[in-house]
Amino acid sequence: MLERIWQMLIKEFIQVLRDPKMKGVLLVMPVAQLIVFGYAVTTDVRNVRTAVYDLDNSVASRELVSRFASTGYFKIVEYVGTDERARELLDRGDAQIVLHMNRGFEDDLRAGRTAQLQVLADGTDSNTAGIALNYSAKIVGEYSQSILNGRALRLLGPVRQPGQVRLQSRAWFNENLESRNFYLPGVIAILVTLVTLLLTSMAVVREKEIGTMEQIMVTPIRPFEFILGKTVPFALISLVNVVLVTTVGVLWFNLPVRGSILRLLFATVLYLLTALGVGLVISTISNTQQQAMMSTFFFYMPSMLLSGFMFPIANMPVVVQWLTYLNPMRYFLVIIRGIFLKGVGFDVLWPQLVALAIIGVVTLGLASRRFRKTLA
Amino acid sequence: MDDSPNNNAVVVKDLERRFGKFVAVNRVSFEVKKGEIFGFLGPNGAGKSTTIRMLCGILAPTSGSGTVAGFDVRTEAEKIKAHIGYMSQKFSLYEDLTVEENIDFYSGIYRIPPEKKRDRKEWVLEMAGLREHRHSRTSVLSGGWKQRLALGCAILHEPPVIFLDEPTSGVDPISRRQFWDLIYELAGKGVTIFVTTHYMDEAEYCDRIGLIYRGELIALGTPATLKTELMQDDVLEVSCERPQEAMEEISRLSGIKEVALFGKSLHVVTEDGAATASMLRAVLPEKGYAAPRVEPISPSLEDVFVSLIEARDRAETPQREVQG
Amino acid sequence: MKPRRVLAIARKESIQIRRDPRSLGMAIAMPMLLLVLFGYALTLDVDRVPLVVWDQSGTPASRELISRFAGSRYFSLKGYVQDYRDVERAIDSGETLMALVVPRDFAGQIESGRPAAVQLLADGSDSNTATIAIGYAEAVVQAYSRAITLDATQRLGARPLNPPVEMRTRVWFNADMESKNYIIPGLIPVIMMVIAALLTSLTIAREWERGTMEQLISTPVKGPELILGKLVPYFVIGMFDVLLAVLMGEFVFHVPLRGSLLLLFVMAAVFLVGALSLGMVISIVAKNQLLANQLAMILTFVPAFILSGLVYAISVMPWPIRLVTYLVPARYFVSLLKGIYLKGVGLSVLGGEAILLVVFAAAMVALANFKFRKKLV
Repeated sequence: MLERIWQMLIKEFIQVLRDPKMKGVLLVMPVAQLIVFGYAVTTDVRNVRTAVYDLDNSVASRELVSRFASTGYFKIVEYVGTDERARELLDRGDAQIVLHMNRGFEDDLRAGRTAQLQVLADGTDSNTAGIALNYSAKIVGEYSQSILNGRALRLLGPVRQPGQVRLQSRAWFNENLESRNFYLPGVIAILVTLVTLLLTSMAVVREKEIGTMEQIMVTPIRPFEFILGKTVPFALISLVNVVLVTTVGVLWFNLPVRGSILRLLFATVLYLLTALGVGLVISTISNTQQQAMMSTFFFYMPSMLLSGFMFPIANMPVVVQWLTYLNPMRYFLVIIRGIFLKGVGFDVLWPQLVALAIIGVVTLGLASRRFRKTLA
Repeated sequence: MDDSPNNNAVVVKDLERRFGKFVAVNRVSFEVKKGEIFGFLGPNGAGKSTTIRMLCGILAPTSGSGTVAGFDVRTEAEKIKAHIGYMSQKFSLYEDLTVEENIDFYSGIYRIPPEKKRDRKEWVLEMAGLREHRHSRTSVLSGGWKQRLALGCAILHEPPVIFLDEPTSGVDPISRRQFWDLIYELAGKGVTIFVTTHYMDEAEYCDRIGLIYRGELIALGTPATLKTELMQDDVLEVSCERPQEAMEEISRLSGIKEVALFGKSLHVVTEDGAATASMLRAVLPEKGYAAPRVEPISPSLEDVFVSLIEARDRAETPQREVQG
Repeated sequence: MKPRRVLAIARKESIQIRRDPRSLGMAIAMPMLLLVLFGYALTLDVDRVPLVVWDQSGTPASRELISRFAGSRYFSLKGYVQDYRDVERAIDSGETLMALVVPRDFAGQIESGRPAAVQLLADGSDSNTATIAIGYAEAVVQAYSRAITLDATQRLGARPLNPPVEMRTRVWFNADMESKNYIIPGLIPVIMMVIAALLTSLTIAREWERGTMEQLISTPVKGPELILGKLVPYFVIGMFDVLLAVLMGEFVFHVPLRGSLLLLFVMAAVFLVGALSLGMVISIVAKNQLLANQLAMILTFVPAFILSGLVYAISVMPWPIRLVTYLVPARYFVSLLKGIYLKGVGLSVLGGEAILLVVFAAAMVALANFKFRKKLV
C-alpha cells in the first residue's frame, strides 16, 4: 500500500514540477509577491499632501501651519491663494487636504473670539481622509489648549491654574503601529492558501478531464491511497512555500516572530490539511478544470475578504461575523498574527486550533465520501 | 509555386526532425503520386505522426525539404493548410458541440461558400451515417462515428490531399472496413490520401506503403513487391506444443534466418523452405515436440515487416527501395 | 482577416460557454457577491471599539471622563478591570482592543492645576484600527480637557472664555465618508480583471490539452482570427458584468455617480479588451490548464487587489513598488473610476490615465498575437 502511495507521489511530483514555468510559479512567485505586497500593504498615513490656503498670513496662522508641517503626517505641497486653485489641486489629487484660514484669524484669537480653521479633505479615500482629519483635530486641539493655558495664566496668575488632561497612548505588539507587521502574516496566509487550493482542486479533475483517471482506477489502488498520493505532494510544496515566504518576510522586512516557530509549523500543517480538504471537495464536484478553477475562486474570494486580512471582522455586520466562523482562513489569521506579533501560545490560541481541526476533518471526510461515490 | 508539371502530390527529400538529441525522423525521402493511397506503416514511436505533422505544416522540420500540393513545407505552410485535410490521431472534435455544430464550425473555418455549405453538410452527414444524430453531442458518439465525422470535417472543403494519422485506432473492425470504403471512394475521385497506421492488414489496402522504423524509411513499394522482396526467403508456418520453447530451439538450428511467434504458431524464415521443412519435421519430435505441423506459406506483410526490422536491428543497413 | 472565420470561432466558443452553465453562472454571480460583500460587510471604518477601563481613581472626575468614552459611538465599554494582569489577559486574548487606565491621583492633579495623564493601552496588531481608535480617544480626552479648563477658569472668577480655535471640516467627493463610496467604483476594475483572466486564461490551453488545437492549426485559420473570435463572447460577458456592477452601485448601494456614464463604459470596454488579451497571453504561453490557472491567479487577481489602489493607497508605497503598480492595468482604471464616480471629472483631468489604458490594451492584444504560433512545439 505504501508502495502505491509512494508511486503516486512521485508521479504527481514529476508531473507538477516538470514544467520549469510551474516551478517558477510555485516557488519563485510567492517570494516575489511577498516582497511586492509587503511593501504595498500599508495603511499608514504619512506625508499627506497638504495645500495651505492662508489668507490671514499672520503669526498665529503660520504657527498653526507649522505645527501641521512638523508632525511628519502632513507634507505641504503648495501655498494657494484662490478657491479655484485649491479646488483644482483636490480635483487632480495633487492635494488631499487643504488648510484654509480666512483674513482675521489672528484678530479673532486676540479678541477672544473663536477663530476658525477650515480643513478641506478629499474623501475619495475616506480611510486616509478620516485618519488625516483625526490628526488635524489633535493638532488643532493641542494648539487650542496651549492658547487656553496662556490665557488662563494671564487671567489667574501662575499659582492657580485650571487643570487639563492629556492622553498617553502605548501600542502593544506593534509599538510603531506599522501596518506592515499586521498585514504581512496575512499576506503569507493568503498566498499559500491560494496556491494550495488551486493545485489540489485542479489535480483530481485534471485526470478526469485528460482521461487518465480510468487508467488509474483499473489498478488496485484504493480511493484513500489515491487521495493521499495526490494531496501530499501539494501539502509538501505548500509547506515549503510557507517556510520560504516566512523566512523572506522575517529577513527582508524584519517581521517580528515573537512566538514559537514550532507552533507556527504545527498550526500551518493543520491549516494546510484543511485547505487540502476544501480543494479536494471542489475537485470532486467539478467535471472540468475550468469549473474547478471557477469554483475555487468562488470559495477563495469571499474567504479572503471575510478572513480579517484586510477588513477587520469586528467592523462587519453581526450576521456576517457569524458566517466567518465557517471560514478556516479566519482562524489561521488569528493564529498566525498571534504567533508573529503577540507571541502567544496554544493556551490562548486553542479555540482556533480546535476550529481548524473540526473544519479539516469535516472537509476531508466529505471529500473522501464524494470521491468514493464518483469512483464507484 | 504549383507550376511543376509532375504529378506528385507530396515530395519529401531528406526530411529530418530532431527533438533535442533525439532524432524522430531521420532523413526520410519519398514521393506520393496524385490520386494515390499511400500508407505509412510502423510501430508506435517510429516517427509516423511526426512526419505527417511536418507535411501538414504544423511542425517545422529541422532539416531537409518537402512539398505538399506543390507548396514548400518550410516556407509555405499556410498555403499548404488551405489545400489539405488533416485528421489527427485524437480525432479532435469538440466534444461539447453537436455533430451539426462541429460541421458548421469547420465550414466557417474553411470558408465554404454559402451555396455549397448546405450541400457539403448533408454530404458529410450522409457519408458518416449521422443524419439522425445531427443534433447529438459528439461526446456520446461511438468511436466509429466520431472517426467518420472527423474525416467529414476534414474534407468539407474538398482538398486534393488528405492526411490521416492513425484514423482507425480504437475502432471496431466493421467500422474500419466502412472507413476504407470511404477512402477508396475518395481516391477514386482523384484525392491523394496519405495515411499512417500500425495495422498491417490495412497496409494491404494501400497502393504503396512505406515502412518506417525508428525514424528511418526501411522499405518502400507496393504491398505485392514488398512481399516478393522476401521471395528469396521462404516462410514456413510451424504449429507445435510449447511454441515459446520451440522457438528458442529452432532459432539455434542451422539454416534458420528468423523465427517469430504468430498467434499460437511460429513463422520460420529460411532460405530453402523445402529442406528446412523436412529437417524440422524430423528434428522437432526428437527434441520432444510431438507431431509438429510444418507448412509453407506465402509471407504476409507482417512477416516482411518483422523480418526487415530484425535485419535492421542486427545490422545498420541503408534504406532499401524496390522498384515496383 | 476573414470575418467568416472569426465568426465561426466566436460561435463555437459561445456554444461551449453556454454548455458550461456553472462557469457562466459563477462569472455572473461572482461580481454580485463581491459587490454585496464590499457594499455591506467590508469596511475600514471604525466604530464600537471594545474598551476596558481600570479606574484607579474612582472619583466623579474620572467617572465623568469614562462616561464620555462610554457615550461615544466609537467605543464600546466592555467592562472594568482591577489589575494589570486583567488588562494583559484581555488584550492578549483579543477580548478588547484598548484599555483605559486612570491613575489614582487623577482628581487631585486636576484640582491642583497640574496636567493629569491618563494612559491608553492599545493592541497595535491591527495598526489601522488602532491608529483610528487612538485618534478618537485623543479627541475625547481633548474635549474633556478643554471643558475642564474652561470650566475651572470660569469658576476661578475670570470671564467666560471661548474655545480659541475651532476646526471645521468639509469633505469633498465623498461627503459622508463612507468607504463603500470609493471602494465600489474601485471594485469594478478588480472584478473585471479577475473575471477576464479566469475566463480566458483557460480557453487556449484547454484546446491544446484536448487536442483540438492541433486540428485548428492545420486549417487556414489565422492567429489573429482565432484570438479575436475567442475574445468576442468573453467581452460580451465582461461588459454585462460591468453593467451589472454599475446598476447595483446605483440602485442597491446608492453610490453617487457624478461623472459621465459614457466615459465609464468606453473605458471599461478598453480595459476589458486589455484584461481579456492578458488572459489569452497566459493561455497561449502556459499550454496546459494547470499552469495557466496558477499564472492567471498570480498575475491578475492578487495584484489587482493589492496594487491597484483599491484598498491600499499607492502614494504611500515606496517608489520601487509604485513603479510596479504602473504595470498593473487595474490601477489606471481604479483611479479613472474613482474620478468619474466621486469627482465627476472627465478626460481633461483623467486623460493621462485613459491613454495609458489604451496603451495597455493595445500592448496586450499585440502580445497575444505575437506569442501565438500555429505550430506544435
